[in-house]
Amino acid sequence: MAEHYSSFQRGTWRWLFQRLTAVFLVGALGFHFVLLHFVNHAAEISFMGTQARMDQIGYFSLMVVFLVTAAFHGINGVYNALINQGLKGTQRRVVAGVLTLAGVLLVGQGTYVALHMNGFL
Amino acid sequence: MSTQVTEQTETETEEQTEEQSPGERRREKKEQLQREREQEKSDLLDEAEETVELKIFRYDPEVPEKEEPRFDSFEVPFFEGMTVLDALIYARDTYDSSLTFRHSCRQAVCGSDALFINGKQRLGCKTQMVDLEWPIRIEPLPHQEVVKDLVVDMEHFYEQMHAVEPYFDPDELPDGEREEQRQTPENREKVKLSTRCIWCGACMSSCNVAAGDNQYLGPAAINKAYRFAMDEREGTDRKEDRLRIIEQEHGVWRCQTQFSCTEVCPKDIPLTEHIQELKREAVKSNLKFW
Amino acid sequence: MSSSYDRGTVESFGRWQEFSAGMWAWVLHKFTGWILIGYLFTHIAVLSTATQSPEMYTDTLQGLEELVIVRFLEIGLLAVAVFHILNGVRLLMVDLGIGLGSQDKSFYASLVLTAVIALASIPTFLGGVF
Repeated sequence: MAEHYSSFQRGTWRWLFQRLTAVFLVGALGFHFVLLHFVNHAAEISFMGTQARMDQIGYFSLMVVFLVTAAFHGINGVYNALINQGLKGTQRRVVAGVLTLAGVLLVGQGTYVALHMNGFL
Repeated sequence: MSTQVTEQTETETEEQTEEQSPGERRREKKEQLQREREQEKSDLLDEAEETVELKIFRYDPEVPEKEEPRFDSFEVPFFEGMTVLDALIYARDTYDSSLTFRHSCRQAVCGSDALFINGKQRLGCKTQMVDLEWPIRIEPLPHQEVVKDLVVDMEHFYEQMHAVEPYFDPDELPDGEREEQRQTPENREKVKLSTRCIWCGACMSSCNVAAGDNQYLGPAAINKAYRFAMDEREGTDRKEDRLRIIEQEHGVWRCQTQFSCTEVCPKDIPLTEHIQELKREAVKSNLKFW
Repeated sequence: MSSSYDRGTVESFGRWQEFSAGMWAWVLHKFTGWILIGYLFTHIAVLSTATQSPEMYTDTLQGLEELVIVRFLEIGLLAVAVFHILNGVRLLMVDLGIGLGSQDKSFYASLVLTAVIALASIPTFLGGVF
């Protein structure tokens, strides 16, 4: 029963990356909230202000990395939650595929939006 | 005719009483003792200053009246120092001999009487009645199938325990045939707590993840793996093998640090801590291959 | 064991009153996690108005911010994010094997801190909407 498992590396890396992204996200999410709710008031956000921030390459790349790590951390978390419920076999592979696709679309759309914001597109 | 027969029987009975065999004498004595004990028990119930109500889970697929699970109430006398197991034994011996539960050593060593007492996994023999809220609710361990009354099927738990190869298996044996395999005091200290496991299954039953994912090794098995993986006498090759077992998809990674196992362990083994350490060991050994 | 009795999963989540600190921390961490990933998708969707025109982006965001309900939801989101961050730090410590003995206290601490931060930020979040 407990003896035959699939390849071992995946679980290890997923666990490790979940933690590494967490460390980054603690800082990034905190920064994001402070900047857009306390430093800049959310109600006063306009495209101009957004563009001014996104024009700085440092801020732009931070936001893109933020998006990628958040997407991984969140979607991997959802996947873990579903495995907790005993998801396995074909069902599990289908769910993994759907979640990966959702993540890729999210990052793709997010990057597309970000490129609009810094005036590249 | 009839008178004769009666006479005959009477004579026979008389003879038997006179020439009572040792076995019969013993049986009689036993019966008398039994009667006395029963009398004593009802006296106990009267004498005891307090009585406790036990609500015990009953189920038996082989008895029609017990096919539908239910709770039975038993009134037992309370005495200082009484454990839940004492109360169960009293209820079984006094009221219902069909009340079924596992127990053996009565001193938290054999690990056979892990029960779900007042909503928590505890050892019946180690739990004092005074420490509980009354009435006391006793159920079989959750997340394991009930065979009868308080007895659960432990087969799956044992399978997971065996999956981690829970035996000492060093890479190299000492040269001398009768040479001891010595362990440093520091290393012994490291594995000390993990060796305390009595296979009672309380941790596995408390684990929410193990409940959902049947393949998850569970805290007890991982702790067992820890006990040997951390034993320096086994050598690095064996440790790698052991890490490979516990770092499978349904090994250590399924632990979500809910601390349920650590809280219920009757031997106070820091299970979560051991699982976490194995996670770090597994990551380290994977990084080494790069 | 042909006939044995399976009590089902009722026995785990049906007993939420008996949960201890570590279990509550886990439940809340999962719950806030679901909200955050759900919000991330919505967030990107709303920001996608930027691909249409700058005006539309500005109008949409400012229009949303004028709604009182949005302001309250934002406070809720802040509380959710703060708890997820604080408990996340607690979990990282647990992963590193630090302070496992006081894991329950650190959970209560993250709850209290979340409440304090959320309450303290109410004026900032509700400013100008009434």
